[in-house]
Amino acid sequence: MHRLGHGFTSNRFDRRSLLRRSAAAGAGLAAARYGPSVWTPGASAATNLSVLSPLAPDPAPPGVAEFAMDGFAAWKTANDAEVTYEAVAWPQLHDKMATNFASGTHVHDVYYMSGWVPEFAPFLTPLDDMLPQDLVDDLPPSSFSTVTWDGNRLGVVFTLSLLTLFYNTAHLEEAGLDGPPTTWDELKGYAQELTRDGRYGWVLNYGQADGIGGVASYWMVFLQQAGGTLYGDDGAPAFNDAPGLEALQFMVDMYTNGSTDPGSISYVGINDATNVLTAGNASMMMNWPFMWKPANDPATSKIVGQLGSAILPAGSAGAASIDGTDAWTIAATAADPELAMKLIEFYLDPVVQTRQVLDTGWLPIRLSVLEDPEVQEGAPNAAVVLEQAQHPYDSFVTPDYTEVTLAIGTEIQRALQGAKTPEEALQDASDQVAEIVAAREG
Amino acid sequence: MDKAGAALGNIITMGTLAQRRQRTAILLLAPALLVLAAVILYPIASSIVLSLQDAQLSAGEIGAAWIGLENYRQLAEDDAFALALRNSAFFTVSEVLIVLLIALGVALLLNTHAGRNPVFTVILLVPWVIAPVANAVLWKWILHANYGALNALLSWLGLIDRYVNWLGAPGLALPMLLLADVWKSIPFIALLLLAGLQNIPATLYGAARIDGADGWQRFRHVTLPGMRTPLALAIVLQTIWSFKVFDLIFVMTRAGPADATLLLNYLAYRVSFSFLDFGYGAAIANVTFLIMFVLALAVIKVLKPGAPRAQGRV
Amino acid sequence: MAMLHRADARSARADVAPRQAETSRVRGPVRFLDDVLVRIALLVFVLWTLGPVVWMVVSSLLEQTALTSVPPDLSPSQFTLDNYRGVLATGGSLVPAFRNSLIVAFLTTGIALTLGSAAAYAIARLDVPGGDKLALMALATQMFPGIVIIIPLFIVLSRLGLIDTYAGLATVYLSFILPIVIWVLKGFFEAIPPDLEKAAAMDGASTWQTFTRIALPISLPPLFATGIFAFIESWNEFMFAIILTRVHTKTAPIAISEFAGQYQTQVGQMVAAATLASVPVILLAIVFRRYILMGFAEGAIKG
Repeated sequence: MHRLGHGFTSNRFDRRSLLRRSAAAGAGLAAARYGPSVWTPGASAATNLSVLSPLAPDPAPPGVAEFAMDGFAAWKTANDAEVTYEAVAWPQLHDKMATNFASGTHVHDVYYMSGWVPEFAPFLTPLDDMLPQDLVDDLPPSSFSTVTWDGNRLGVVFTLSLLTLFYNTAHLEEAGLDGPPTTWDELKGYAQELTRDGRYGWVLNYGQADGIGGVASYWMVFLQQAGGTLYGDDGAPAFNDAPGLEALQFMVDMYTNGSTDPGSISYVGINDATNVLTAGNASMMMNWPFMWKPANDPATSKIVGQLGSAILPAGSAGAASIDGTDAWTIAATAADPELAMKLIEFYLDPVVQTRQVLDTGWLPIRLSVLEDPEVQEGAPNAAVVLEQAQHPYDSFVTPDYTEVTLAIGTEIQRALQGAKTPEEALQDASDQVAEIVAAREG
Repeated sequence: MDKAGAALGNIITMGTLAQRRQRTAILLLAPALLVLAAVILYPIASSIVLSLQDAQLSAGEIGAAWIGLENYRQLAEDDAFALALRNSAFFTVSEVLIVLLIALGVALLLNTHAGRNPVFTVILLVPWVIAPVANAVLWKWILHANYGALNALLSWLGLIDRYVNWLGAPGLALPMLLLADVWKSIPFIALLLLAGLQNIPATLYGAARIDGADGWQRFRHVTLPGMRTPLALAIVLQTIWSFKVFDLIFVMTRAGPADATLLLNYLAYRVSFSFLDFGYGAAIANVTFLIMFVLALAVIKVLKPGAPRAQGRV
Repeated sequence: MAMLHRADARSARADVAPRQAETSRVRGPVRFLDDVLVRIALLVFVLWTLGPVVWMVVSSLLEQTALTSVPPDLSPSQFTLDNYRGVLATGGSLVPAFRNSLIVAFLTTGIALTLGSAAAYAIARLDVPGGDKLALMALATQMFPGIVIIIPLFIVLSRLGLIDTYAGLATVYLSFILPIVIWVLKGFFEAIPPDLEKAAAMDGASTWQTFTRIALPISLPPLFATGIFAFIESWNEFMFAIILTRVHTKTAPIAISEFAGQYQTQVGQMVAAATLASVPVILLAIVFRRYILMGFAEGAIKG
């Protein structure tokens, strides 16, 4: 049941009153403060929370993915709440949100977000006053960088998802290579060395231009490793410089020297690239922590037990990555933001976080869970991701992130295909981003 | 004739009869017209209004500032629009030509004695009824750079010695999308043309034979003129469908690489749903509609469908 | 049903008659070479048309590890039903999606035929002004990019509480199905001999009675033919369904696309889902082949 009847004004009112309640609770009232029936005369049925989430195996909550189901049932009972999931395939998520928000109607209370928080910021509830301090204290402070816009914390990241290096240990051994590459030079050399017997040294999905996990975001990894940044302090594009070019030239070199699977530029989703690695037809790639699980599943993988993980090779300015920014947010139109917050707190509960990594492969975000020996044993790549997190991992998200990354990514694809030189491509990308930024600010 | 007859037969009650007929006509038409007004006219009107506004989502709601034809002016300097227009022109013209030629061949083939076996019609129906999404999934898999059946087949036949990057190499991705869509589009057009072929009176062929016309001349002077209506219909319908290809791009390439498979319809979608600029997206869609409408009118003007039908009916 | 079968047989005979005439003409002197060429062409046609479909089915029966071998490993030991077990088990989304597609397709078809036949009859028989421009208008509705009408439709439907309902989806599908239904049925109605209706009018039947008691009953086969078109189109629609379904009404094409998420790695399952979703419409096409062909022959061209 969607609460379509609620007009914007009445939601405002509800929210304000709920915020007051929240403040009161913060002042020391007991935890058992919710139970909407107490507050809404006549409403005896359980309150329904509507949640938009990706489908598993993308990062999904209990109830969509199969984990922590008992705890989830208990939470619903304790809170007298029903949770309705709309779980959709990844490529449809953003468009669904756009339509929901554009329609001006209330659709969902809780939204999954990946890099879209600044874009949809006006439609989201600031969480600063609602986030329990003990939760915030247990999260990496940097995890809030991609979900903060205009000084407001609008979401909570629920999985530590940074790109790291994955490689086939058997291939490296066979080629007489000792341990994973740690620098760009090594990466390039390894990739060429490993390109043999119908295999490629490197594979990635360069076919999608935009978004996190598109070719532009991969270039941002190399950009930061080369010491560059996307925007200057004035907000204008600042990537058409030596590090920007170095990063693009490196990708182009790896591609044109034949050590990158040429199919990479036709792979739209990371799953296509992952399949090439797990089939043993490529030896190295960068990927999200989730990779660990399917690569060690005999039903889908031919490289079970052969997967190695390491932090990404360092460029001239050191190691760096980008952030997958998988976060939970609350819609501005949510009738009961406090209950929605409770649900998010449940998703971030240490027990749920532990089950998340052990049952689905998505790492927790809570530092205490990440450091848990049981988790480290169940997800051997957790330590690597934690180490990667010691280095920069900016995803440069803005309200026009899709438009910006599409412009950059399309130019990168032209450079990879040889239609433009890296210099031309970067210049054209920079010009387009300057226009987009000007439009944003004008 | 029959109208005049009815008028004569009912000369006395004509006024009331005409009124009654009109009332009935309105009753019969009204439900369909109401539904169509709600699900087509209203949204189209909204999209025209939207295209005259600066309707971006960024401000927290869709704004409604009137900006006149600004969105349309913007089209003139938009490189992506120019590229999409070129791609759409290439895609549509190629697909209409290829589909019509092959479909005509298939129709002629299925009109032969051996081709009349119903098995062939059943086979022909299969690509048509498969969901476009399933078709896209299927072709994406067939064209996969490493594991695709096309590469395996061609290299097994010795036609290629290196796997081809069908959806990635410059200049190849759009033709491959074309291939996938041609495969799916042929059956409908072939059946349309087959029905047209079987509609041509056999006596015309007999007369041509008596006049000493050979096979080609019979095709040229009997078959083609007799097929004017189905051919015009086929061209118009295929033009519309080629312009509107969406599922294939959405599943297979997301308009990449390097916008090589960006078509107008997908651009309208991208501008609306990825850039959240609903006004500009509507402008692109309206222009796309206008182009299709003009093309359809031109085809109808040139081929004058319906002329032979009137002759056969009366 | 009896009516249908009779009509069926009649149209089949009508189909055969001109063919026999032509056949006897063509087969006069048996031209061996032509015959061989035709057979080769037919073979090429079958391979081209069925090749991709066969590969879809074969892929859906192979282990992931066999599919990602170069070249694909087609040894018998690699064949399995696991992909089908997988898609039917995974989240259980496929079976409800089929049920939803079925309901939406039936609903759309029913409404489109009811409203469409009435409108088509009025245009064909009752001198509606502008009725002759109908074909062009029907075509024009097919030209409008659906993407751009989604937002206004979404807003209206959500105000009416019709998002994620069968009624909402079916209503939107009418936007592209109803014009075609009207257009095709108008062709059929025009082909009915006017004498029949005149006789009814003589007997004192009103126009409404003529429509429901004469025109509709003898038009059951064309109604059926048109209905199959409507059904297949609704079953396969994807773009509107993405936006207008949420939890309870996801259709079969959505279910297929769900097996192609960002991190989904099971190629076999994706293809198995596509295969399963294609089976009902392929069966429908085979079983009702005659009506579909009649729709082409009688409706689309003459309309």
